[in-house]
Formats: sequence, structure tokens, C-alpha cells
Amino acid sequence: MAAAPTDGTHAGTHAAAPAAVDPERYLRIEGVRKEFDGFVAVDDVSLDIRKGEIFALLGGSGSGKSTLLRCLGGFERPTRGRIVLDGQVLDPLPPYERPVNMMFQSYALFPHMTVEQNIAFGLKQDGLSGDAIAARVGEMLSLVQLAKLAGRKPHQLSGGQQQRVALARSLAKGPKLLLLDEPMGALDKKLRSRMQLELVNIIEQSGVTCVMVTHDQEEAMTMATRIAVMDQGWIQQVGKPDDIYEQPANRFVAGFIGSVNLIEGIIDEDQPEYVTVRTGDFPAPIYVGHGITGYEGQPVAFALRPEKVYIGKQEPDGDNNKARGTVEDIAYFGSHSVYHVRLPSGAKVLANFANMKRWDSDGITWNDEVWVSWDDNDGVVLTG
Amino acid sequence: MLRPSRWRPSVRLLVIAVPFLWLLLFFAVPFLIVLKISFSRMAIAMPPYTPVVEYLDSALTLRLNLGNYAALFADPQYVLAYLSSIQIAAVSTVLCLLIGYPMAYAIARMRPAARNIALMAVVLPSWTSFLIRVYAWIGILDANGILNRFLLWTGLVDAPLRILYTPTATYIGIVYCYLPFMILPLYANLVKLDQRLLEAAYDLGARPWKAFVRITLPLSRSGIIAGCMLVMIPAVGEFVIPEMLGGPDTLMIGRVLWGEFFSNRDWPAASAVAIVMLLLLLVPILVFNRHQQRQMEGRLA
Repeated sequence: MAAAPTDGTHAGTHAAAPAAVDPERYLRIEGVRKEFDGFVAVDDVSLDIRKGEIFALLGGSGSGKSTLLRCLGGFERPTRGRIVLDGQVLDPLPPYERPVNMMFQSYALFPHMTVEQNIAFGLKQDGLSGDAIAARVGEMLSLVQLAKLAGRKPHQLSGGQQQRVALARSLAKGPKLLLLDEPMGALDKKLRSRMQLELVNIIEQSGVTCVMVTHDQEEAMTMATRIAVMDQGWIQQVGKPDDIYEQPANRFVAGFIGSVNLIEGIIDEDQPEYVTVRTGDFPAPIYVGHGITGYEGQPVAFALRPEKVYIGKQEPDGDNNKARGTVEDIAYFGSHSVYHVRLPSGAKVLANFANMKRWDSDGITWNDEVWVSWDDNDGVVLTG
Repeated sequence: MLRPSRWRPSVRLLVIAVPFLWLLLFFAVPFLIVLKISFSRMAIAMPPYTPVVEYLDSALTLRLNLGNYAALFADPQYVLAYLSSIQIAAVSTVLCLLIGYPMAYAIARMRPAARNIALMAVVLPSWTSFLIRVYAWIGILDANGILNRFLLWTGLVDAPLRILYTPTATYIGIVYCYLPFMILPLYANLVKLDQRLLEAAYDLGARPWKAFVRITLPLSRSGIIAGCMLVMIPAVGEFVIPEMLGGPDTLMIGRVLWGEFFSNRDWPAASAVAIVMLLLLLVPILVFNRHQQRQMEGRLA
């Protein structure tokens, strides 16, 4: 191993040069499959993750997201496939030899060590000098703003403080890849939204590439630059948060992220500029103002987000994209209300209404006859 | 229910009183009797000691004879017996820990179904009489015993090993008998260990051995202390095992006590031996209690 290739004679080793690693493909997950006693937890997953991005694996329980994360950390060996980080194949390496650190779910802080000792633990394993360790620990403590609590034990800290210690501990060694396992799982709702942004700030300051696992779509959308939605071991869609929300790839993604009106129908007219969808739910066909790849007569679903639906007592202009119904339920959320409108066909349409006025007395109320409508480009036709 | 303050204190008092009464009757009273006897003088009488408190001619006299205690420190035989007892108990405790820790660790890592079977196997021998189990070791360690016949058969030794009636046999007996008392508290501690802490240690670059030393070992400290106390304390006063397996040169305070009591019929001397032994054991017990208390406080804070 001592002799490094110095010329072109080692044709097979050209990939070993670190400079050749494409920053777009800093972490490559290639066809990873993981089986447990015949049960397939992760099924042929391939992903390319950019250097410095925060990438979220989003899915419900049993979607395989945690198993995939454990494969990255080295706690599980993939049954098939490869994981390559910065040109280095990780699979044969045990966790303690990987340039990867993880912030565990509910943190797994060492209860018998102080904050300082917890953060120093990884550095000590590298055999650094005492001064170097102390300097790095000090740096980490100021990064997460916990310098005052350096001598405390984990059980003397609040949930948010524990989380910051866990983050400092996993960043202390300067890993090439940071893994976050349900980072907000142990925090209450109010603290969660504050810590999400704080965590992102700290991670971005350190510039580390980060893969996080979460079941919470809001958390994934707030924190991640890109999201992979997983279900039953498969990647359903990869994209930026707004892509996934506004252009879901299939019914599962549309239903998993946010709330949605899913209307089943058949493509009636398939033109390059527009598409119409015939459905039993609405009296008029649905008109979509852009072309799609499909064929006439193909069964599809039309996905329409509730906040894109306009609700009013006046009949809107135009022949398409409107329906009449009665208000069956109103869910009040403070900032907005969700109206459940029942159509004569039996279908139900959810429509959001922003509560921009206080005590809107002439607003829409239960059993009112209303019109719901939307613009030509507000919905998405799903073929999957 | 309307006015709980009316009946609650009496219930609380009762709940506290029962264990107190128990301790008073079965611990404090016998202890005080032994303490009293240790301050008396031997007598040819029934019971074979002089009274400590006497009421004669309208005079209540308390006569404390410190001679028994003075003799304990004057006679090197007693001091040697104490030291030797502590040494045998300490070595046995360390051996129990060295054998018991890996066993407890292995059991704690088993599948839950296998765990129960393994724990049963640890406890099962205790269902046989202690005396019979110690006696069985005579059959094993004897010059003609199972062990020697096996060793001769395999050709590992030319002449039978002399193990029985030596200190080695005493160690074997004590370690064998007290091993479950080491394994059980260690197991109870190790089974609770959060596996994710070890994963976190590996993740931070600790090799398995390093993770064991830095994480598992310190977190199982209270189990180690509990196990060591449970082995060490009864082992110091052990009588049956050194008597049956050890030779005449295996000096232990339990045997001295037996000799004073039954051979010499010197109840006061035997009582003094017992009191000093108790005081010697009290120190580690107090240290242990203090440690437990600190642990509890740490958890509450």
C-alpha cells in the first residue's frame, strides 16, 4: 500500500484521486438493498448527494429510511449495492473507521460524562493531544453556545440543550458526512420550530454534508435542501421541497406531503397545450393548462392542494374547474380555516381560507351553498 | 376519602412500623444480646457467662469486661485470622467478578427467551442444599476424585494433584457458591444498558474494546459494587467452606468463632470475635450505601 501510483500505468486506480470526485455526487448510494430474514427493508435505492447539502429521507415507519441511515453509519451492512463517500467505498468499514458521525435519536449522550467530556470523546479516540482536544471542544461549545454548561451532566440539561450537545459531539471530529436520526423527535412542538432553524444554521456554518431522517414533512421541508420521499423501501421521489410539494410524482407523495384533494378520472383530451380530465366527481371536465405525457382514456388522479382552491358564494366565470356544493365542516386553525365542501356527486373538496380579517361575520358558515374553483395550472395530473 | 389527613398518618405509621419492628426483633435485639455477652466473663454455669448487669443488695451494677476485646488484639492468632479472612474473601470476590462479569454480559446480550434459560441455569444449583454442594466438591477435588482421575487419564499429570484441604480448595468453593450473587446484580445492571450508547461510541471512533472500557464498564459500576458486596460480606464470615474444603492451615475467622463457641465454650470471646467482624464489615456496607444514595440523588436531580 505504501507505493502510490505516480503515473498512468495503474489504469484501474484513476478513480482513487480525491480531486476527481464530482461535488454533485459527493455521496453515492448505488443500488443499496437491505434484507432482514427475508423482509426487504430497503429495496434497490440509488441516490447522489451533493457536497454541503442537507438531504432529508422522509417517510413513515417501515419506509426503510432509518435502515438506509444505519447503512450509511455502518451499523448495518447492505445486502447488495455500494455506498461511496468522497471516492471512498464505505461498506467494508466498521462505524469506528468511517469519516461519518451521527446525531442519534434522543441523542444517546453518555450519562456518566459531562458536556465537555461527551464532546471530547470522539477526539480522544483519534489520539489528539490534550491541548488540541481542549481547543476543539471550546470551538464546538461556542458554536452551539453552551460554553457555560461545559461541566454539566446530560441529565442536568433541557431537551434543547441536550440536542445541541449531541450536535456538537457529532460535529467535533469534522466528519465528511453528518447523519441526523429524527433530530427533533424528542422536542415539543414549540421548541421544534426554533431548533430546526438553529440546527440548520449550525450545520451550514460548519459546511458539512448532512443526511437526515424524519417522518415529519414540515421538518424535512424546513431543514432540507432536497428531500427523498420513501415508502416500503423504495424512493418515491427526489426533489427540492417546493418541487415535491407542487409537483408530486405520484399519489403516495401527493398524499404524504401536506393535505390534498385527489380526484380520480380519465384523460379525455390529450393535447400538447392542454389536457382535460373527465371525472364523475365534477359536473364539468377538469381543464389543465399544460401538456402531460399520457394518452387519451388513461386513468389518472388530479391532485389539487386545498390552498389553491378558491371558495365563494358567487359563481365564478368560465365553464371548467368549478363545482357547487354545501359546507359540511369548518376546521378553524387560527391563521386559516379549512372548509369541507360536499358536492352533489358525493365527492368532498377541501378548501383553505386565509383568515385575513378578525371576526369575519359575513363569512361562509355551515350548510352554506358555495362554489369552489381553481385556475388552469393549480392542479397536477398524476399517472402513478 | 373526604378527610384523608385523618387516617393517612396512622396507615403511614403502620407501613413504616412493620419493617422497623422486624429489624428490631430480628436484628437489633440479637445484636444487643451478643454485644452484652461480649462484655461478660466466661463462667461454668448455665448460660456459661457472668451477668453484665446485676442487682445485688439494692445496688445496680454494670460490669463491662473489656478483656475479650483486649485479647483479640493481643493474640496475633486472632489478628491473623481476621486478615486471612479478609484476604480470602477479597481474592474470591475478585475471582467472582472476573468470572461473573463476562457471564452476566453474555446473558444480558442474549435473546430474551435464551436469557431466562441462562439465568435459570445460574440459579438452579442453589435449589440444592448448600452443604451438599460443598460436600460434592470433596468428591471432585479428592486425590481419588473426578478431577484427578480425569487429569491422570488425559496424561496431563503423573501424580494426583493435592487440591483438597488446601486454600485453593477454599477459593474454589467460595467462588463456586457465591458466583450467582455476583452474576445477578451485574446482569440486572447490564441488561438495562442502552445499546445506542455503544453505537454512539463506535460512531465516534471507539473500537469495541475501548467502548467497553469507556462506556459499559463505568455505567455498570453500581452493579459491580453490589455484586462485590454480596460476595465479600458473607465470604468474610464463611465457616462451612473452609471447614470442609480447606486444610487446617486455612485460617478464617468463622472457624475461630466456631472453635471459641463450641470447643472452648467461651461464649464471651466468641461474641467479641463476632462483634469485631461485624464492625469490619460495616465499613464497606456504609461505603456502598453512601454510593447508592449518591446515585439516587444524581438521578433525581
